Amino acid sequence: MKTQFAMVIDSSACIDCKACMAACKVENRVPDGQWRNWIKRREPDFENLAWFGEAATLHFQPGNCMHCDNPTCVSACPTGATFKDEKDGTVRVDSGLCIGCGSCIPACPYGARYRHPEKKVVDKCDFCEKRRARGEQPACVVTCPTKARVFGNLADPESEVSRLLTKNNTVRVVNRTTDTRPNIYYLSATAPLDWPVEAKIPTPIALWKGINPFIWGLVGLNALGVLVMLGKQLLVNDPEPEEKGK
Amino acid sequence: MSGKMIQRHTRLNIFMHWFNAACWLFLLATGLGLIRNGDLEILGGWWAEAMRTLFGGGERMLIAHMAVGLIWAAGFLIYAIAKARTDTIPFIREIFRFTLPRDLLWLAKKGIQMTMGYRALQKISDFLKRRGVDPEIAAPRIPDQGFYNAGQKLFAIPSVLLGVVIAASGVILFLSKPYLEETALVRWAILVHFVAVGLVFAGLLIHVYMAAIAAGERPAFISMFTGQVPESYARHHHRLWWDEVREEKTD
Repeated sequence: MKTQFAMVIDSSACIDCKACMAACKVENRVPDGQWRNWIKRREPDFENLAWFGEAATLHFQPGNCMHCDNPTCVSACPTGATFKDEKDGTVRVDSGLCIGCGSCIPACPYGARYRHPEKKVVDKCDFCEKRRARGEQPACVVTCPTKARVFGNLADPESEVSRLLTKNNTVRVVNRTTDTRPNIYYLSATAPLDWPVEAKIPTPIALWKGINPFIWGLVGLNALGVLVMLGKQLLVNDPEPEEKGK
Repeated sequence: MSGKMIQRHTRLNIFMHWFNAACWLFLLATGLGLIRNGDLEILGGWWAEAMRTLFGGGERMLIAHMAVGLIWAAGFLIYAIAKARTDTIPFIREIFRFTLPRDLLWLAKKGIQMTMGYRALQKISDFLKRRGVDPEIAAPRIPDQGFYNAGQKLFAIPSVLLGVVIAASGVILFLSKPYLEETALVRWAILVHFVAVGLVFAGLLIHVYMAAIAAGERPAFISMFTGQVPESYARHHHRLWWDEVREEKTD
């Protein structure tokens, strides 16, 4: 059966204790100043004198790499070091193939990627691949004291994430310009929603995509020239005229 | 007289040529194997996948590509410096030495002859003569050439200049993983590396055809092993060079 790992998050249960962030950092040895996951917050809008209702409350929103079905980071990677794994549906990084060009970093609208300061390759959440290999849940999921994060296989209708999705209204957090089709779902409503930035493919990579057909077109034209010369050489009897005088 | 041979390449020239060829073949194969992106692949992903499987993983292929690339660049750097006076400088001077309009006429006439044949060349010549074009220019005779013909020079110049670009951008890409903090430079280096290789590769197709397959060029191909060409070949294909060699001999 196909596997698509996903998270369903009840952000209203989040108390901003940051245990998920600490657990992730320890589990994955995330370097100083970098994080693989986060808790976003919506502040009460006191400035506009909103003392009651939604706008008057704090809301916390845990998140991490959304392992999108339409990953813009994959589209930005020239070598395929960042790829969507068909086996489990996660977006992975093959650090051996990563050349550290950083093209994928601005291509992620969620800022889920960073360049590892020592390894000089890109790093991000892998849904705790090593823990999963041992049959365990991701560190952030098991650590959460309010069980705000639920992890599982979306392709399995019996899984908890699937049941949560069928029983509840859910939302996904996307940026305005590209629907990356993320695999993190938030129960009923969540905030903030305006933080994802536009996915930007860096100029050299975008330029490469634009001129790629022309470079190969030139190679093709020359190959065609060679074929014409070869055809003439093999098929046409074309003796060189005798040189006069000289 | 036709049985006599003329020295055209030194043993070191020959070695560097085949060293270059072997490196290029390897680097082209592994370099194409490094491109794995739906918008950038030209033949689909199978080539990259096959190369990665062949090397036992993408990481090993990348390391092999970088290692051979550095050996290639270092080899040429050492050669260019060590043989600057006898090889590098005379070679650079030779490939930039164009004689107009001789070389342009050679390109036009040789191009017509290689694709359409001598008879077409004769017909075009007759046509131009009837239209009153200077018979010197319209003549069907392909102009004499020096040590390199205009086509060889037109391929040698970008090969040298873009070769330097390929090596420099390659070194930046190599340094990215162990050292570089700044990634914008690395991203531009990828693009420059690819475009430069693409341009040289396009010319390389013509080079390989001309040297290894084209009619009448067999002696040139053999000289890339023996270093010598028959005098008759030199006189026919590189008349001006043959004249120089003769003068040197009689001096």
